[in-house]
Amino acid sequence: MTLLPPLPVRRRPRPHPRIAQMRRTWYLLRRNKLALVGLGIILMITGIALYAATQPLPWTSVPTWCATDYGPANDQSGAPGNFTQDCPTTGPIVCTYEVTPPPNAALYCGGRWYPDIVRSNISFASIIAPTLSVSPLSFGPMPLGGLATFSGPRTPIYDVYSSLLRGSDWSLMFSVSIVGFGAILGLLIGAMAGFYGGLLDEVLMRIVDIFLSIPTILFVIVVVAVLSVDLPTATGTSNLVKILAMILGFTVVWWPFYARIVRGQVLTVREQKYVEAARASGARQRRILLRHIIPNSVFPVFIQFSLDVGTIPLLIGTLVFLGFGSLLFPSTPFPEWGSVSAVSVIDLQGDFLTSCYTAATGCVIPWWQLLFPGLALFFFAISVNLLSDGLRDALDPRLRR
Amino acid sequence: MRMTTYVARRALLIPPVLVGVVTITFVLFAALPVQYQLTAHFGSPTKAQRCGYQPSCTCATLNPDSISGNNCTCISPPTPTTRTGNCVNPVYQEYVDKLGLDKPIPQQWATFIYRSFTFDWGNVSNHSTVASVYPQLKGLPVTTAVAWELPYTMELAGLSLLIILGIAIPLGNLSAVNRNRPVDQISRVISFSGYALPAFLLGSFMVAGVVLLFLPHTGFLVKTPWCTGGEPLDEEFTYSMPQASACYAGLGFGASYPSWVGNGVHSTPTGLFTLDALVHGDNWLAVDSVVRILLPALLIAYGAIAGLLRFVRNSMLEVMNLDFIRTARAGGVPESIVTSRHAGRNSLNVTVTVLGLTFAAFLGGFPVIEDVFHLNGIGEMLAIAANPNPGLDFGVIFGTTILFTFIIVSANLIVDVLYAFLDPRVRLG
Repeated sequence: MTLLPPLPVRRRPRPHPRIAQMRRTWYLLRRNKLALVGLGIILMITGIALYAATQPLPWTSVPTWCATDYGPANDQSGAPGNFTQDCPTTGPIVCTYEVTPPPNAALYCGGRWYPDIVRSNISFASIIAPTLSVSPLSFGPMPLGGLATFSGPRTPIYDVYSSLLRGSDWSLMFSVSIVGFGAILGLLIGAMAGFYGGLLDEVLMRIVDIFLSIPTILFVIVVVAVLSVDLPTATGTSNLVKILAMILGFTVVWWPFYARIVRGQVLTVREQKYVEAARASGARQRRILLRHIIPNSVFPVFIQFSLDVGTIPLLIGTLVFLGFGSLLFPSTPFPEWGSVSAVSVIDLQGDFLTSCYTAATGCVIPWWQLLFPGLALFFFAISVNLLSDGLRDALDPRLRR
Repeated sequence: MRMTTYVARRALLIPPVLVGVVTITFVLFAALPVQYQLTAHFGSPTKAQRCGYQPSCTCATLNPDSISGNNCTCISPPTPTTRTGNCVNPVYQEYVDKLGLDKPIPQQWATFIYRSFTFDWGNVSNHSTVASVYPQLKGLPVTTAVAWELPYTMELAGLSLLIILGIAIPLGNLSAVNRNRPVDQISRVISFSGYALPAFLLGSFMVAGVVLLFLPHTGFLVKTPWCTGGEPLDEEFTYSMPQASACYAGLGFGASYPSWVGNGVHSTPTGLFTLDALVHGDNWLAVDSVVRILLPALLIAYGAIAGLLRFVRNSMLEVMNLDFIRTARAGGVPESIVTSRHAGRNSLNVTVTVLGLTFAAFLGGFPVIEDVFHLNGIGEMLAIAANPNPGLDFGVIFGTTILFTFIIVSANLIVDVLYAFLDPRVRLG
C-alpha cells in the first residue's frame, strides 16, 4: 500500500496587510451611521460636480462691469444685432447678440461670452414657497423661476441654480487642491524631519513653529493680498494665473499643520519592528522612507485632510464677506459656494437695511438667494466633518472599547 | 528634568520664532512693488506710481496731497513748466529714507527687526482703509491703535471661552459615556453644525432677527435702556434708522460706549469695560457690557464648540479604557463616581491644553463676527488694514501680526508648562 501524498489544504490567499486594514476600517466605519450619511452626501456632491463639469457654462470670464449693467442684454425679443452698453470703466462698448446662440451662451459682449440667464427655470420653485409674513417686511413666496433670477442690488450675471451647479465644481476643486497640495508638501517635509532627525529636524520644526504662530485667517489674507496685488501689474494676466495664485497663497499657509502631524507619526513608526527588519535586510534609507515609513503614517493625514476640505469653502466665504473677493477671484460674484453665499449675505443686508426698511408697502426679501448656496455650503462642511469624525473613531485604536 | 530647566528651555525658543515671523512679514512686504508699498501714502497704486517718482516730468517736485484723478500736481515750481529730468515726491523720499529702501536687503531686514522689537511699528497711515474707517486713528502710532482695539477682543474672547467651558466639558463627558447612542450622535450633529455654518451667515441672521425684534413699529424691545447709549430714558424716545440699526446690530451699542471710557477723568485700570465698570461700582454698566457682547460670544462659542467637544470626548474615551478605571469598577465604585471623579479629572489634561490654545487663537480676533456686530475689535481692524481698497496699512498688519505671534507663542509656553505641571511624565521626555 502506498501512502498518498497529503491533500493540499485549500486556504484563501491572505490579503495584503494594507488591504486587510482598509477592510477593517470600512467595517468599523460602516457601524457609524453618521459617518455613512456624511459619506453619502459627499458622494452626491461629487456626482453633481461631475455633472456640472459637463455643462458648458462659461463662468470664469465674467467681468464685473458687465455684471452690473446687464439689463438690456436680458431682452431677447429683439432681432440679432448690435447695441451699445455703457461701461463704467471703458465707456460705451458695442455688444452683439449672437445670430445663432449656442445652448447656454446667448450674449457676446466685449469679446466674451455670457450665459443666458433666463433658461434655467426650475419647476419645483412654486412648491417650496413658504410665506412668512412679518410686517412690513415679508419673506414672500419665491417667484416662479426665482432660482433663475439673482435679484440683488448687484444683479450678477448668473442665476442661483447655475451658480449652485457650477459652484459644486469650483468648491470641490479649490478644497481638494488647496488641502491636497498642503498635505503633500507637509507630508514630505514632516516625514523628512521625523526620519532623519538631528539638525534637519530642529530647523524644519522651528520653521513650522513660525508658520503655525501666525493666525490662519490673517496669514491667508496677507499672503493672498500680497500675491494678487502684485498680479494686475503684469499685463495679460489670465484668470487661471489669478486662481493659481490664490491656491498657492492658501497652500503656503496650510502645509505646516500636516508637517507637524506627520512628524509625530513618523517618530513612532520609525521605531517599529518592521522598519528595523527592513534596515537589517539592507534596505536603503530612501526605500525605507518611501516604502515603509510614509505609507504607514498617512492615516492621520487622511483624517486631517477630510476635516480641512470642509473648511476651505467656509474660509473663502469669510474672506469674500470681508471684502477680499476681488483679490481672490477673477470676477467678483464668483460661482463658488462660499463666495456666492457671502455675496448673497452682503446683498441681503443691503436690501434689508436700506430698500426694504424704507419701502412703504411690503417688500419681498429674496431669501432663496441665500438659502440654497448656504445649504450647499452647510451640507458640504458638515458631511465632511461627520466622515472625518467616523474615520478618526475607526482608525484610532485607543478609542476602541 | 526639573521644572525650572524645562520652563527655561521652552522660553528660550520664543525669540527665534518671533524673529522668524518678522522675517516672513518682511519678505511679504519686500516682495511688493514699490508703488504698492506706497499705496498707504497715496491711496491707490496707480496714484502711487504716478505720484511717487517720475523719471521725466514737467515739474521739479510732485505734490502728494493734491491728487486729481490719477495725476499729481506740482509743488515746485507751482505752475507746470516744461522741464526734463527726474521729479521726486517728498513723501516718496521720506519713505525711502525711513525704511532704508536704498540700502542693501540685509540692512533693511535688520532695521525691520530692530523696529519691530522696539515697538516702533509706524503710524496709521492717512490714506489707508483703516484711516477711512476709523478717522480718529489717523496718524496715531500703531501701538496706540492696537491698544485701543485689544480690550474689545479680550472681553469677547473671555466671555465666549466661559460659555464654551460651561457647555463643552459636561457635554463631552456625556457623549463619551453614551458613546454612539442617540445623545452622542445628537450632540455631535449639533456641534458640527455650528462648525459648518459660516459665522457671516449665522451672524447676519442674528442681526436681522434682532433688527426685526427691535423695529420701532413691531418692536417691544426698543425702549430697553441699553439702546439709548447712556441717555436718560423717556417715553418719547424714538430712533432714526441709522441709530436703530447701529443699536440693533450689536445688540446695539456698537457706537455708544459709556461716556466715562477714555475721557481721562475716570481711570480705566484694566481696560476691560466689564471689570472697569465693576471697579467704578457701576453694576448696571457691567451688566450692560456683558449683554452687549452676549450674542457675538454665543455665536463664537457655537462655532468653536465642535473642536473642544471632540477633544473632551476622545480623551475621556481614552481614559475610560485604562486599567485603573476597570479596577475602580471591579472594586464596586458607583459608575457615576467613576465617570466624574476617576475618568473626568484624568481626562482634563488634554482639555486644559486645547482650551489654552483656543483662547490664544481667540485673542487673534474674530474678523467676521466683529464686523457683523459692529464691534471695534482687533480682528476687524486687521481685516480692514489688509484691504487694499483704498490702501493697505502695513504698519497695522505688521503690528497686529507681531502681537498675535507673541500671544500665541507665550500661550504655547504657558500651556506646555501647565501640562507638565499636571502630568509630570511629560517633563521626563
